[in-house]
Parts: sequence; C-alpha cells; structure tokens
Amino acid sequence: MNAEKINSASGDCAEFQDRLPELLGENQDPRNDAHLASCENCKELVSDLMYIAQQAKLLLPLHDPSPEVWNKIEAGIKTAPKS
Amino acid sequence: MLSISNQPEEKGAILTEAVAKPTPAQGQMRRNPPLAGELDAIQAAQNGDDAAFEKLYSMHKRRVYSLCLRMVSNVAEAEDLAQEAFLQLYRKIGTFRGDSAFSTWLHRLTVNVVLMHLRKKGLPQVSLEETLEPSQGEGPRKDIGTRDLHLSGSLDRVGLERAVGELPPGYRLVFVLHDVEGYEHNEIAGMMGCSIGNSKSQLHKARMRLRDLLKNGLEHGQKEGAN
Repeated sequence: MNAEKINSASGDCAEFQDRLPELLGENQDPRNDAHLASCENCKELVSDLMYIAQQAKLLLPLHDPSPEVWNKIEAGIKTAPKS
Repeated sequence: MLSISNQPEEKGAILTEAVAKPTPAQGQMRRNPPLAGELDAIQAAQNGDDAAFEKLYSMHKRRVYSLCLRMVSNVAEAEDLAQEAFLQLYRKIGTFRGDSAFSTWLHRLTVNVVLMHLRKKGLPQVSLEETLEPSQGEGPRKDIGTRDLHLSGSLDRVGLERAVGELPPGYRLVFVLHDVEGYEHNEIAGMMGCSIGNSKSQLHKARMRLRDLLKNGLEHGQKEGAN
C-alpha cells in the first residue's frame, strides 16, 4: 500500500519535473502548481531553482583584464582597418 | 550563425555555425545607463580619435572582460576574447548608429565574438548537451520523505561564481546569457541557432547542475564545520 503511494507520488514528481523547464522558462511562477501543495521535495526544488536564478542576477561584472590586454589592443589598432 | 543541431531536441545539441552581426537586444537584457562622457567618446572614436577609443575601453573593459570570463571560465582565453571584442569594436564603431544603448550593442558584439571563438575552437563537435549521470541530469526524483539541504539564504556570490565556473561549457553559456546577462530565450535561440525549447531545456539543466554543485559545497562546509 505504502509502496503504491510512493510510486504514485513519484510519478507525479516526474510529470511535474518534466513540465518544470517550460514553467520556469516562461517566467511563470510554478509555486502555484497543484502538485506542490502535496510534495515537499518538488516544492524545495522549485524554491532552490528560483533562488539560483535570482542570485545569478547579482553577479556583477567585477573582474578587470590585465593591463596587457590594452597593450595588445593598442598594438592591434595601429594596423586595423576601420569600417 | 551559430546553430545547435538538436535531433532529438533534448539530446546531442551541437554548435555548428557562426554568429550574426551585433544587433540591439530585444528583451529585458540588463542595461546600464549611458556613462558620463560616453556619447562624446563614441563620436570622437568614430572620427578616428584613438584617445577617445581608449576612454571607451576604460569605461567598458570590466563588463566586456567579465562577460568573456564567465562564458569561457578561463582567464587567458577571456583576455584574448576581450581583446578581440575591442578590436572588432574599433573596426566597427563607425557602424554604431545609436539604435540601442552602446553598452547593449557592445555586449552583443562581445557575445558574438565568444560564440564565434567557441565554434572555431571546435564547438561544432562540442555538445551543448553534456553527458550527465542520471542522478545529475534527471534531478531529484526522490522518494517522499527525503530531505534536502536548503539553498535559500545560504548562497554567496563567490560560491555561485565558482559553481558557474564548474558548469560544462554548453550549460554555462546558456546560464550566463539568460540568468546573469538577462537575455531572453528567443534571443539566445536566435544567437545560437537553436530552438527556444532547447534554450529552456539547457537552462533548466544548468540550474539543476548548479543546485547539485552548490549543495555539495554546502554539505562539505557543514562536515568541515562539524570536525
């Protein structure tokens, strides 16, 4: 009995997770999906994926190239044709 | 055009071609307001003023280089690509008409330089669909009752940067373009010549892989803290 319930629930998870790329890709909020009302694992998964996407927006351009890059560019533009 | 052959769509996606000219982004790409003196520098550089071009380089080098570094995750390669992007900028700056923000135009030019480089480097043979272990690729289809470590509130920028650097190249490209740089799936599909569905799928798998990487990092941290 319990095994049947787990299989059934896992099946729901697989179906939900198959839909998830599309749900997230459309910038929809999958947290309202009915499956999540009864599935903590998928709820947590969605929460994590949305959190990662949110945090990624905070990755600012913080790296500077070495001075050598400009030296090479400067050498390059001396011979580069312009449009 | 860079394209991704995707037969079937979810598997074996392969970069096969080159990229298009820089065009204004249509979506919600992260935009910076014009920098002080940027317009004057652009106009002067268009008239052949090399000092003005150097000024433009100073204004945009960090953003261009950071983008390259995130896309290829290799310092030497990223510096070469930043160099190439600015050399292309020098050659093409006369074609900039201000239809979009200069930073947006330069950003797209840079993305194209990186994608072209990856194609030349061998991305025709490099699959965007990295081989994954089933447990990594299929996600947490776990038995009910299994508890995971929560990511929310636990992630710092350095940890995420490091994890992004560990992503397979194909996943990293789509993740950086979409989640970091703010391109829409239709723009990514256009740049890379893949379907929108493929872009969504790659992004999802990238996030899933990141989740694994980040959770593993957290678990290691907890174990070390306990010892």
